Amino acid sequence: MFRAILFTQWKWGRLLLLMATLAGFAIPLLSVQGLNTTYGNFYVVMSLQAFGIAYPLLAASAGLLLSLSAWTSDHRGRHVYALSLPVARWRYVLLRYQAGLLLLLLPILGIWLGAILATRFTHIPAGLHPYAAALALRFALSAALAYTAFFAISSGTPKTAGIVLGIAATLVAIQVLASAAGSDFNLLRPVFDRLFVWPGPFEIFTGRWMLLDV
Amino acid sequence: MSNAIETKDLTYRAGKSFLLDHLNLRVPVGAIYGFLGPNGAGKTTTIRLLLGLLKPESGAIAVLGQPVPSRVREVLAGTGYVPERPHLHLSLTVEESVRFHRAFYPTWDHAWAAEQLRRFGLAPDRLLRQLSKGEMGKVMITLALAQRPELLVLDEPTDGLDPVVRRELLTAMLEYVSDRGATVFISSHLVHELERVCDWVGVLDRGGLVSEMPMQDFKNGIKRLVLAAPPERMDQAPFQVLAREMLESGNEVWVVRGWRPEMLSWVQQQTRGLREVQDLDLEEAFVELLRTARSGSTRDPGRPLATVMV
Amino acid sequence: MFDQIDPRSSTPLYAQIAERLRVAIASGELKPGQPLPSVRQLAARLRVNPATAVQAYRDLENDGFVELRQGAGTFVREVSADRRAEERRSQARQLVRSMVAAAGKLGVSPKELRAALDHEMGARTHE
Repeated sequence: MFRAILFTQWKWGRLLLLMATLAGFAIPLLSVQGLNTTYGNFYVVMSLQAFGIAYPLLAASAGLLLSLSAWTSDHRGRHVYALSLPVARWRYVLLRYQAGLLLLLLPILGIWLGAILATRFTHIPAGLHPYAAALALRFALSAALAYTAFFAISSGTPKTAGIVLGIAATLVAIQVLASAAGSDFNLLRPVFDRLFVWPGPFEIFTGRWMLLDV
Repeated sequence: MSNAIETKDLTYRAGKSFLLDHLNLRVPVGAIYGFLGPNGAGKTTTIRLLLGLLKPESGAIAVLGQPVPSRVREVLAGTGYVPERPHLHLSLTVEESVRFHRAFYPTWDHAWAAEQLRRFGLAPDRLLRQLSKGEMGKVMITLALAQRPELLVLDEPTDGLDPVVRRELLTAMLEYVSDRGATVFISSHLVHELERVCDWVGVLDRGGLVSEMPMQDFKNGIKRLVLAAPPERMDQAPFQVLAREMLESGNEVWVVRGWRPEMLSWVQQQTRGLREVQDLDLEEAFVELLRTARSGSTRDPGRPLATVMV
Repeated sequence: MFDQIDPRSSTPLYAQIAERLRVAIASGELKPGQPLPSVRQLAARLRVNPATAVQAYRDLENDGFVELRQGAGTFVREVSADRRAEERRSQARQLVRSMVAAAGKLGVSPKELRAALDHEMGARTHE
């Protein structure tokens, strides 16, 4: 049963998985391209930090797209097929969730491999240490978290997903209008703080995504 | 378990408007049961309730001896379902669909499925999205039958298909029933199609069961009588008069229900003007039944006709 | 031989199928020992309920027209010439009965009917 479900998700998500894996492999390698160590460690850390935003972005988009691709076909058939199979709903949802997590290993491995290669073939100045495994782990946790959150939304009815996205879009729109009107009013700040600052659930996305660090 | 499907006072409401009202279905084990009714009568809703895809508002459902929805997984394991509209994953190929589907059914007959697809002429590498309506029907019936189900639930399986495909699907179903003796619950508004095949008929209209009986009783029990003159006394008619119509020729036509051959003598006693007893085919009987059910003039057999007789 | 199965007739389908086979056996179209299609084949070919096919064969077995051999199928039995003639007479009576009924409905008198019958029969024998 799991294999059957895994296969469908692989078929629906393989293109984006391939792209995410390639991107994951490339980012650490690109981040050390032409890294100039002559200006001291501070400069090295600064230039690596510029790449720091790429990792959480990749984790979030991989999680989002993978969770969407897992449910598109079921949504299209209004879930009649899944509900007519002799398997409990919770079990079906769990199998789909597990299959997605397993597939998420591919971009994670991509990052890890890229990070290992990048640290192996770069001259690391004294005082800095490579954190390939830590970076991959951080990516794994973020991607899994993003996948879980989006999966929870998209496994519901399209209506639920629509409501959640609608609320988010409204918040952003209000903020944009407020800023355009020159107001200092900040609606998104408290929402972001609640979500991304410890003990918010998405704290892992923020902070330092460093391949090399002190 | 003598009934493969049984509902007791099954009631369902969607919003305020639509209602299945105290539906009492009984589908005997081994029957090929034609679930007839015009579009919008509530056939698909009933089927979805039977398979636990919807939750009833009140009433009880038992399918294959198990209560629904509480034990619907056991029911689904023994039930092959072909819904009204294709429900499969359209981005998979025929072969991939088979592999996906069979993972859920330990009773799956792989050799049979492969042979049936070959007989239907379905290439394994075709994407479901690219199949015609008829080819999709073939895939769905193959999947449903390869499960080796005890119960087949077919919701308008041949609606919109050409006669050749329709025949192929019916043939596959009948061969399966010959081999396995499964119960078949088949909904349709295409009455002709079921005429040969079904041995039980249930007629649904506007969310209520108008009639449920063996096909033979259904067909033989509804007759059209052509009379030269109405009988003098009608208050002890042993049958129910569904409709009366005056013809220009002066003859009167009655559509009656609950007819038995021995009632002929009663009619002949009451009136010397009996010209003919005509057989109705299933569709005519079906139409007459619905017409009467809708006009609300259905009476029990044997009840007086005084209000109509002037 | 099954082309004339009529689902609209008030005669049950199984009786119609049995009837066709009885006629075929009486007329010699089906020979003794000849196998009949299996229930599965018959049901699929006529698109009838398999139970209907079973009932037709059971009917014929009771009449002594066919025998069911365990595991082998259904076969035409040796039917005596008398019995076959009786079946043909019964068919003839049925034909005439329906003809007379139809004539009555059309207002054709018995005399006219007989004349038409003689005419047709005469034309046949002269062919």
